[in-house]
Amino acid sequence: MATFTGSMAPVLVLWLAMSLSGTWAVDKGNFKTCDQSAFCKRQRALKPGDSPYRALLETMELTNTRLTLQLINDNNKVRLLLELYRLQGNMTRVKINELKPLKPRFEVPDVLITEPSTEPLSLLSQDENGVVLSLGTESQRVIISARPFRLDIMEGPEVLMSLNSRGLLAFEHLRMRKDTQAEPEGEKKEEADPANQAEKEEEEKVDGMWEETFKSHSDSKPNGPSAISLDFSLPGVEHVYGIPEHADTLRLKTTDNGDPYRLYNLDVFQYELYNPMALYGAVPVMLAHKAQRTTGIFWLNAAETWVDISSNTAGKTVFGKMLDYVQGSSETPQTDVRWISESGIIDVFIMLGPTPKDVFSQYASLTGTQSFPPLAAVGYHQCRWNYNDQEDVASVDAGFDEHDIPYDYIWLDIEHTDGKRYFTWDSHKFASPKEMLQALEDKKRKMVAIVDPHIKVDSNYKIHNEIRNKGFYIKNKDGGDYEGWCWPGSAGYPDFTRPDMRAWWASMFAYDQYEGTAENLYTWNDMNEPSVFNGPEVTMHKDAVHGAWEHRDVHNLYGLYVQMATAEGQIQRSGGVERPFVLTRAFFAGSQRYGAVWTGDNAAEWDHLKVSIPMCLSLGLVGISFCGADVGGFFKSPSTELLVRWYQTGAYQPFFRAHAHLDTPRREPWLFGPENTALIRDVVRQRYTLLPYWYQQFYHAYRTGEPIMRPLWVEYPQDPATFALDDEFLIGKDLLVHPVTEEGARGVTAYLPGKDQVWFDVHTFQKHNGAQSLYIPVTMSSIPVFQRGGSIIPRKMRVRRSSSCMTHDPYTLYVALNLQRTAEGELYIDDGHTFNYEKKEFIHRRLSFAKNMLSSVNLATDAEFSTGSWIERIVILGASKPSKVTLKTADGQESQLEFDFDASMSVLTLRKPGVNAGLDWNVMLQ
Amino acid sequence: MHFHMIIVAVFWFGFVDSRKIRGISSSYKRFFRERKSFLCIDGSKIIPFEQVNDDYCDCEDGSDEPGTSACPQGRFYCTNLGFRPHYIPSSRVNDGICDCCDASDEYNSHAHCQNACWNLGQRERAYVEGQMRTLDEGLQLKQQLIEEGVLLWREKQAQLRELQQVAEDLQTKLEERRSRKQEADRLKEQTPRPPEAGDGRLFRGQNSTVTGTFKLLDSNKDGSITVDEVQAKVALVHDEERVLSEDEAVIKDTHGAPGVGEDPPLKVADREWEATNLKKVEEAYDTVNMEISDLREKLAIDYGPDWEFLFLNSQCYKLKVYEYTYTLCPFNQVTQQSTAGTEVSLGRWGMWEGPPKNQYGRMVYENGEPCWQGGSRSTTVTLTCGTETALRSVKEPSKCQYIMDFQTPVACQPVLKQRGIHSEL
Repeated sequence: MATFTGSMAPVLVLWLAMSLSGTWAVDKGNFKTCDQSAFCKRQRALKPGDSPYRALLETMELTNTRLTLQLINDNNKVRLLLELYRLQGNMTRVKINELKPLKPRFEVPDVLITEPSTEPLSLLSQDENGVVLSLGTESQRVIISARPFRLDIMEGPEVLMSLNSRGLLAFEHLRMRKDTQAEPEGEKKEEADPANQAEKEEEEKVDGMWEETFKSHSDSKPNGPSAISLDFSLPGVEHVYGIPEHADTLRLKTTDNGDPYRLYNLDVFQYELYNPMALYGAVPVMLAHKAQRTTGIFWLNAAETWVDISSNTAGKTVFGKMLDYVQGSSETPQTDVRWISESGIIDVFIMLGPTPKDVFSQYASLTGTQSFPPLAAVGYHQCRWNYNDQEDVASVDAGFDEHDIPYDYIWLDIEHTDGKRYFTWDSHKFASPKEMLQALEDKKRKMVAIVDPHIKVDSNYKIHNEIRNKGFYIKNKDGGDYEGWCWPGSAGYPDFTRPDMRAWWASMFAYDQYEGTAENLYTWNDMNEPSVFNGPEVTMHKDAVHGAWEHRDVHNLYGLYVQMATAEGQIQRSGGVERPFVLTRAFFAGSQRYGAVWTGDNAAEWDHLKVSIPMCLSLGLVGISFCGADVGGFFKSPSTELLVRWYQTGAYQPFFRAHAHLDTPRREPWLFGPENTALIRDVVRQRYTLLPYWYQQFYHAYRTGEPIMRPLWVEYPQDPATFALDDEFLIGKDLLVHPVTEEGARGVTAYLPGKDQVWFDVHTFQKHNGAQSLYIPVTMSSIPVFQRGGSIIPRKMRVRRSSSCMTHDPYTLYVALNLQRTAEGELYIDDGHTFNYEKKEFIHRRLSFAKNMLSSVNLATDAEFSTGSWIERIVILGASKPSKVTLKTADGQESQLEFDFDASMSVLTLRKPGVNAGLDWNVMLQ
Repeated sequence: MHFHMIIVAVFWFGFVDSRKIRGISSSYKRFFRERKSFLCIDGSKIIPFEQVNDDYCDCEDGSDEPGTSACPQGRFYCTNLGFRPHYIPSSRVNDGICDCCDASDEYNSHAHCQNACWNLGQRERAYVEGQMRTLDEGLQLKQQLIEEGVLLWREKQAQLRELQQVAEDLQTKLEERRSRKQEADRLKEQTPRPPEAGDGRLFRGQNSTVTGTFKLLDSNKDGSITVDEVQAKVALVHDEERVLSEDEAVIKDTHGAPGVGEDPPLKVADREWEATNLKKVEEAYDTVNMEISDLREKLAIDYGPDWEFLFLNSQCYKLKVYEYTYTLCPFNQVTQQSTAGTEVSLGRWGMWEGPPKNQYGRMVYENGEPCWQGGSRSTTVTLTCGTETALRSVKEPSKCQYIMDFQTPVACQPVLKQRGIHSEL
């Protein structure tokens, strides 16, 4: 679009103003620092020391499932209620709320998949100083100290975690506004206390309790101060991870010399790397790791949150640490963490591991696992803001065929709509969407169209009218429909926190409602932080109203609800048969249940390519496995080298989508000369050959909550060399990827973990020993990827136009032997797109190689599915030459297999076993 | 000769005996003569003949699996009887999508492919015939346009020459006037002159800038001055006797200065009159020179080997696409006008940028209105053969980069004619 129409002008002017406000860097002035966020400033001003809180042990009540206890703040005599639960699967839940709040405080709904099951707690001992409780069968105890109040979780003699050990528990109780409100009568007797006078004075001193302004925006804060805070100490821990989303390293940094990590879903224009600023999504989950144990903290709060991290070893040099080690320093390393949220209650789940996988499973038991996507969504996605019209879509589609590059989804950004009215099509540019979708369907390909949650205020727009008439819009503080500026100009924001609103939204995806759609059209939710161009920090005013709650309370949940309702709509339109696919930019704990996430509006810069790895690793650690970054970079135009390297990296990340800003030149894979087209083709094809492995990883993530793309320490938790690595990663446990992310790189140094482990270069089959840093020379075509010795990876080598075209294709099994000459793997097959796997319609087999025999056995005897796919080829890496190879099928038939042995690389290739992939069989090497 | 016949005969018998080998063209059949073994076409490996098209890739070059999807580098030959034969990548064999119009690629899939070759062939033949007709017509039209172009070129050259002549004359005149003015200045020192100006008619009421002059001279308002126009008006200045010519009368009528011109010629050299006259001549001289450089610039453009593109020079072509109207004025500029009326430049004439084989196949217009994120708008125009000259399509695949399809007979190339339809009928 060259010029803009009248109605667009204000928005675009705003956009332009935003673009010009910085030179390709975030305008930090648009976003708050802790000092500019009144509650953060107040809370951070409290320094570690003796806590004013005291446990009133006489109020303790212990039932079979929970312990309750009152806490009192000796400064203001306000009482809190502590609830403590032992949860199934080695977790402890600690809830703290006001005993008698002036009005209810917000508790986050819809994030936990069920009310967690509890286990009995038992009292071990009690005196006036505290209480000791047993946490089930293991030697785990909770010690509640009374004065000052603190909680210590122990296993044997070891303290796993302490709460309020630094005395930073703070709970701003709800209160009446003193300058304008009459003193409340009756139950608030303490109001007369002298202590309260002190508080009053304090209140006068501290700004921002009843009103706060940032830039030109004022927050009316009708409920006054309501912040909460709590500290956690992690003895022995030097590495903490998680709390996405930040454009930062995998290992979280200490925050003593700057701002805390911020969790507040924001549309940050041209975000900056390696800092703790908030981004589009927030998952308040932190993992703490040391060689012996991994634990996790899940802080269930959806309000603006800041997380401070400090460490007693952070300032020490390597030499200093060595000295400590040699001299046997008395000081054990320790990391201290402090969470601060603006409102709500303290509701924290302490996940006690002990292994990383235990923590994943614990967290999954609370918030669910990664949704199992349709197979096609694991393929390659071609996106751009914007494919201009149907002809453009057809020609890009044809381009992929012409250059023999597979893809599964082509995407339409906001320009496809009629004036940014979602659920509609531009009547000129997309005059016959059904025909367009059918043309894609004929190639077994799919499309994604964007549906954002801001709704154009236009009385001729059906969606707007219905939402307004049903009263579904979020309200402003004065009770009218909240309006803000976004792509369409003036827009309303549906209240997705309402179940009835979500149900209505879901119904809008029905084929008869959302005209021009078909089964192969899926959805992309952008701008769901929510983004409000003219709002404070480009988002919604905190005093906007969602029924009984303020936007302040629910902010970080909004994006989750948008994706939830959209995914539900997609499920419903097929009568519950087909799996949905929805991409979201904003997210919260639990968003993994609804689809994929991408890292937002990145830029075509090498550092952005690099940071895509820690960003997706961090998301994976907290359950969101289906993660990717815009391949090529959204803003700016990548050099050809960067583009190729980004494809090579993206092809080995879970969500693989190229995307580009409207103002950038075209960058479809064939526009950079035949050599680069070939490089991109090659790597996209590598992705497609590995789809069976990827799909199996998604199934595994769906079943267990384990990340697909995972840091090395998850698999090698006792190897400190892996703890901070974030330039390489594992896919599942069997593939190690070290993408080339340096401009002009001639080589990379990859750390191959595992003493007694071997790794095979997947391209050359060269064998390397584990527990070493390996220098790998690279050319433009190199993508260093290694298969773990001891694993079996299924591939489909017949790369076709799209994943659906490959459904019936045969498998090649890559068997990489370890030093014990054994290997194990799995094969998972289902229809690739329906929920029938829930009805046990799938094939899940264990492949194992031991004692010179490779066999396939059923892992799910109660499941049933038939496939036309067969075993085409078996490639055994690290093999020796057999004299004879015999295939034995389930019916007892035996036959000899031809084989080929490459002595230089010790690769044995078995020719055409031909046996159906769903059946029992074995192959004997003699 | 004999020897060849024998070989052909042997091969023929080979065919007759061999089972049908899927996915190969007749020229490759000799490689697939049924024997005990098969030699990969690249010579890399010998395999048992049963392993040809057995859905397992044995040869590095993919030659053992011409009829299946087993080899990643393989290709499948669609015979497409009735249409055009062609190769498809092996990966499209039995993928559930009909690629060969004879349906031969989907012999073992769920796709229900119909043999569409005959229809396609007919459509293609009709299309090609249409194209041929278009080409014939186009080439005829092109011939005319070439002839016109040549004439136009000559005309322009003549015009240039004449203008140059006029310029020379004017220069002489100018020198004369200058000396006369000097004379007048000298005289003025001796005899004061009455203030009444003489013949200021020609430029009276006009602004005295060069453009003003240009506008006056350009009587047919076509944006360029012809020699006739210049002569018609500059004649005035030529007229030493300042006798009212017909043209002068027209001018006078137009600009209204009745009576003034009827004054008898002044005998006395009038200083002011001389000054005005000098100015007039100077202006005319500038105008003519400007016109010369303009014309030279235009003539310097490459209008093709036969000046066939010359006729486009003063034309403009419009096309409405969605809410915008695009205007292409070849060798000049491209603009875009929104329904609201704002006009944006999408580039000014840059150069020919066709591929080496078709140098005149593409034009580029550059340095249009600047874009938000830097750079300026530009337009690439692809010229295609057609019987009419018209703008066919406009696209903006990337922001500020426009692509136009421009059809004109002069883009028709005789070589196209040789490219017919090869079908195995």
